[in-house]
Amino acid sequence: MTRWAAGLVFCAVVVALALMAVSPRVGGQQNAPAAPVVPAVGSGPKAIAAAPAATPSALTATSSYAQRFAALCAACHGTNGRMETPLTPVLAGQPSLYVITQLFLFREGRRSNEAMTAVAKTMTDDDLRGFSELIGTLPPVPPPPPATPPDPIRMASGRALAEQHKCVFCHGAGLGGGQQVPLIGGQHEEYLQASLRGFHSGSRPGYTQAMTAAVSQIPSEDLDTLAYYAARLRGPAEALTGQ
Amino acid sequence: MKSVRSLVVLATLCCIGLPALAQQAPPPAGEPGWAKGRPKTDVAMQMAPIPVFPIPTAPDKLPTSKFKLPPGFKVETWASGVLDARGLREGAKGNVFVSSLFVANRVYVIPEQGNHQPKVIIDKMPMATGIELYNGSLYVATNTKIMRYDNVEDRLDNLGEPKVLYDKLPGGNDHSWKYLRIHDNKLYFAIGAPCNICDPGPYAKIYRMSLDGTNIETIASGVRNTVGFDFDPKTGDLWFTDNGRDWFSEELPNDELNHVTKPGQEHFGFPFCHQGSIPDPEFGWGKSCDEYVKPAALLGPHAASLGMTFYRGKMFPAKYQGAMFIARHGPWNRTRKYADISVAWPDGKGGARFEPFMTGFVENNSYLGRPVDFLVLRDGSMLVSDDHAGAIYRISYGQ
Repeated sequence: MTRWAAGLVFCAVVVALALMAVSPRVGGQQNAPAAPVVPAVGSGPKAIAAAPAATPSALTATSSYAQRFAALCAACHGTNGRMETPLTPVLAGQPSLYVITQLFLFREGRRSNEAMTAVAKTMTDDDLRGFSELIGTLPPVPPPPPATPPDPIRMASGRALAEQHKCVFCHGAGLGGGQQVPLIGGQHEEYLQASLRGFHSGSRPGYTQAMTAAVSQIPSEDLDTLAYYAARLRGPAEALTGQ
Repeated sequence: MKSVRSLVVLATLCCIGLPALAQQAPPPAGEPGWAKGRPKTDVAMQMAPIPVFPIPTAPDKLPTSKFKLPPGFKVETWASGVLDARGLREGAKGNVFVSSLFVANRVYVIPEQGNHQPKVIIDKMPMATGIELYNGSLYVATNTKIMRYDNVEDRLDNLGEPKVLYDKLPGGNDHSWKYLRIHDNKLYFAIGAPCNICDPGPYAKIYRMSLDGTNIETIASGVRNTVGFDFDPKTGDLWFTDNGRDWFSEELPNDELNHVTKPGQEHFGFPFCHQGSIPDPEFGWGKSCDEYVKPAALLGPHAASLGMTFYRGKMFPAKYQGAMFIARHGPWNRTRKYADISVAWPDGKGGARFEPFMTGFVENNSYLGRPVDFLVLRDGSMLVSDDHAGAIYRISYGQ
């Protein structure tokens, strides 16, 4: 866990530095052209070193943010938006509206996470749009096959809790999300657990009050069961059959 | 003896009304209020209220040039970059105050003179939505309390701590945000139904209080969610828009424009009867729509009729003087979107005539903008807030 946290801080530093390098227009105008992509130097993670250089004029807005995603986000979140790091959420398959709401909350200092706050603080409005639109195009990536099969009893009770507490009302039958609602099926268990507990205690703000209200009456052991269940869904069909 | 005493206590509580009752009867947790009554069809299961986008539309991308108005009127962008712009009010010294709802958690001020840059004067206050200016004070109502900032236009750099007038509003999410008006030294506000459709208990009413926060009285009952009301300058009567229930059907029921003629004595139908003619399929059994006050006009299915103002200016043609402008924010609970500014005229017989005034908010079934509230400036031009685009437009005539 400590090593893990150290890794996260490292990511934060790398990302913040990289962002400063590529985005000189901190707080700049909304419609300024995208900043040139400058490959990071030194011994940073592979994804950063691998970002190819390109001239701004040759880039469309989306491909520019694809470059910047590779440089800024991929080290922690994975080039395809999924990294098996317990507390680093899976971005693959997240709706762009959900992504921009969270970047906004980080930038405004409402949702707190050292790495993400550092990144988001430097983003312009256009950056929020560009990154969220790009991330919204990343297809869902299911979790890797589990080392041990999921506990069928716990899965069944998680599924019952998801029905009972109306998770499916907003997240959909497969917990696949949509619009401002995140995909949580297949998300990391530790991240889901921390998020649910955060909504419950009030330490994790949402873009609206929906989650705070939804989990306010749910005992924390049930929150953990919900996290266990949702994390082990490998696709929408599983949620329906409870397998 | 004891039971007599509790009856007396109960009766007293009932007379005091809302404060005690609202706290004793919180809405049930679980299913989100907006989802009550949602059919299990695929289309319906994909529909939900959507909060405003966190980034205001860039000035050159605003839909201003796409708006259509009656001949002689023109519209321009008055301010942009006003995230989540909702309520509009003005102080005597020419400062326009702008509230917000779910996203910005702010109140802004924009001086009428100058370049119309919004300045945040209240920050980190969730649902700082209800605002009113009166005698130099800014009244702000969230979903939990009503506050007053005195001498506000001389203290825009630091408002200081507000005086809390009332802190026993029930809070919650559904229809809990506020719209304020002050009329004859009384502050009017509503407490919306804590759900799409339910037995609302002490909710779903328009109330008023003295300006010090005492003497709460019920003004109208059976009001699902009004976030737009104003007083007819000719008669002093209260008129209000009311948002109809969701999930009934694409085309029904309509939002209502209502007219209060007997303050405190009238029931406008919720949850028993919608649009004056449709008994609710669940709560309407054993009730008749004739038991309730009929709407003065129907404002369209799921229209989300928000801000409303009587036009008190002189710039617009005579036809519009004394008319009601109504912001139809546009439906979430309908597959076919629409939004506009409409105008309605009291017909003198308790009803109202109603027609669209400014259109162009929707393109390819998507919102380019969504109107929320109005402010008639001293020159007679009218500001309109747009929370979707984070902008304020100015409508003028003949110049």
